[in-house]
Amino acid sequence: MSDTARVLRLARIGRVARVIRLDARQGSLLAAIPVIAGIGTITAWHALTPGVADWDATVAATGGSVRWLGPVAAALAAWTAQRGRRLDYLRALAARSPAAGPLHDLLLLGSVSVLGYGLAALTLSGRTVLGDEIGTPHPVGLLAGAAAIVLHVVAGYLVGRLSTHPATVVLVATVAVAWAWLRPADSLPGLLPPAVMEPVNLFEGLRPGVLTAQLFWALGLTTALVLGFVVRTTGQTRLLIGVAAAVAVTVVCTVRLVSYGGRVTGPAPVDLACRTWPITVCVHPALRTGLPSLTATIAPLASRLAETPAAFTRLKQLPPWEPASVSGGTARFHLPDLSPGYAQRTVREITSSLTPRRCAGNPYNALVDAWLLDEQAPVLGSASLAFGRWSEAERRSWLVLRFAAYQSCTLSPPLFD
Amino acid sequence: MIVEHSAIVAKGLGIRRGGRWILRPAFFGFAGGVIGIAGPPGAGKSTLLATLATLRRPRTGTLEIFGCEAGRSAELRPLRARIGYLPADARWGGGSTVHDFVSYAAYYQRRPSSSVRSVLAGLELGDVAEQPLDRLPPDLRVRAGLAAACVHEPDLALLDEPLAGLSYGAAADLTPLLATVAPTVVVTAADPADLLGWCDQVFLLNRGHLTERLPEGTRMLACV
Repeated sequence: MSDTARVLRLARIGRVARVIRLDARQGSLLAAIPVIAGIGTITAWHALTPGVADWDATVAATGGSVRWLGPVAAALAAWTAQRGRRLDYLRALAARSPAAGPLHDLLLLGSVSVLGYGLAALTLSGRTVLGDEIGTPHPVGLLAGAAAIVLHVVAGYLVGRLSTHPATVVLVATVAVAWAWLRPADSLPGLLPPAVMEPVNLFEGLRPGVLTAQLFWALGLTTALVLGFVVRTTGQTRLLIGVAAAVAVTVVCTVRLVSYGGRVTGPAPVDLACRTWPITVCVHPALRTGLPSLTATIAPLASRLAETPAAFTRLKQLPPWEPASVSGGTARFHLPDLSPGYAQRTVREITSSLTPRRCAGNPYNALVDAWLLDEQAPVLGSASLAFGRWSEAERRSWLVLRFAAYQSCTLSPPLFD
Repeated sequence: MIVEHSAIVAKGLGIRRGGRWILRPAFFGFAGGVIGIAGPPGAGKSTLLATLATLRRPRTGTLEIFGCEAGRSAELRPLRARIGYLPADARWGGGSTVHDFVSYAAYYQRRPSSSVRSVLAGLELGDVAEQPLDRLPPDLRVRAGLAAACVHEPDLALLDEPLAGLSYGAAADLTPLLATVAPTVVVTAADPADLLGWCDQVFLLNRGHLTERLPEGTRMLACV
């Protein structure tokens, strides 16, 4: 491109930017940016796993925020399209294409919405970067969210232009909310933008193929809607080729999403992070900051179970779909997050896995559980008196002898004599 | 009265709004020059002007402007590019500067930046080009509105109550400008007296009827 052509092109872009800026000021649309950013940040932050700086979770939470932002953006677009503006007469009596004004509106509304979403994504990404970031950023996932918002904007705007009924804005918002929230997760409809993103489990990862298909699904449908509108407004039927191509992209992406069986995540290999002293505790690397507290809280339990059949010197975090257990010197536990009390919850889970669920009815088992958990012992007469009088070493020796009864829920007063 | 080569020809043109006739089906033509339309507030002058600007569809009849039928979508776009329209609501530009406001109109009319400078100079707005519209005195605001409406040098200018709210002196300064912004100018006012003396024809719009007000000493004729 020659210098002259480049200068002319820049001048043209500058004129368009000035026109859009004036539209933005006329419609006070710039005020929507912080509102959208605020809603996006709050909803996405709420969906994040406490104490975890995982890119998969961040991308899923940001994408999930579109289920809130989409209806807001669609309603804003419908309202903008419907209310008209003071300068509409200049756009109507114009030498330019009658589609120019609406396309500028869409550009402005899309920019406002994506900017708000981008600020929210930036805030969450900053949290992840500043934390012990785990995984890869998945920019495609963030773009898929942006494309879903633009689709909402375009759909809302076009409906707002087609219908002058005052209830249209409410109707657009209602339909968008229903679309965002009434689709089941783990199904094809749930995968369509804005995707129903459950909080991502640490032992699973977002499937890049799903995110890419979602991105192009939204882009394809958006392009089809915009080009269809231009054809209707200007009568340029040659653009129908573009509409057909965009619809084809959407169909192909739908087929791709079907092939994923409704799952946006898949199992991901994990190299656990371990702390080896005084016992070996291994957790997902995103949770490694919890290792010192976890080790300190679990070590007393490990000491009390030493020499029993449930003795363990190694702890390993499990994916949520595997049951907790203690066997072979290893305690396997779940740790979904690092929210307050996580170490105590882990000790309780390991203790619960020592005995079958039916032991909950045996008060003498509860007495031993209270000791294992360092909790207040229930009052059970002579048994609790005897157990309470014993030293720590005596209790451990007693547990080694009586562990079979403890595990089979058959503890009774004579066994405390 | 329809004359040959009329700029605007209405054939059975009827306009309704809010359940009442703004203009009962009428036949009339505006030959060119400066045409004034007067009528009391609420008579429907703005609706009539918006219809002549092709921004509203008439209820009945056809409207031809420069020989093009306004109802035909194929002819509408080039026709609209020949029309300049200044609505009555003086808040059009809000807080934008005069230059930005006129540039906005120029962009949609595919006019270069030089057109903006030219029209601002022609309407003596060069000194206030960077001023926000809502801080301008009423007469300058009307000039800015005129600049935006006529930046593309239209063949037909439709000006809705441009003199409303202006002092006598400001109105007197403005009328020569209004008369020259386009070969055919249609201008409205609440009081016919505001239009007499500088409009080539003055019509009265009242209760759905458009009648021509003829010079003193002749009888008023209905156009319908």
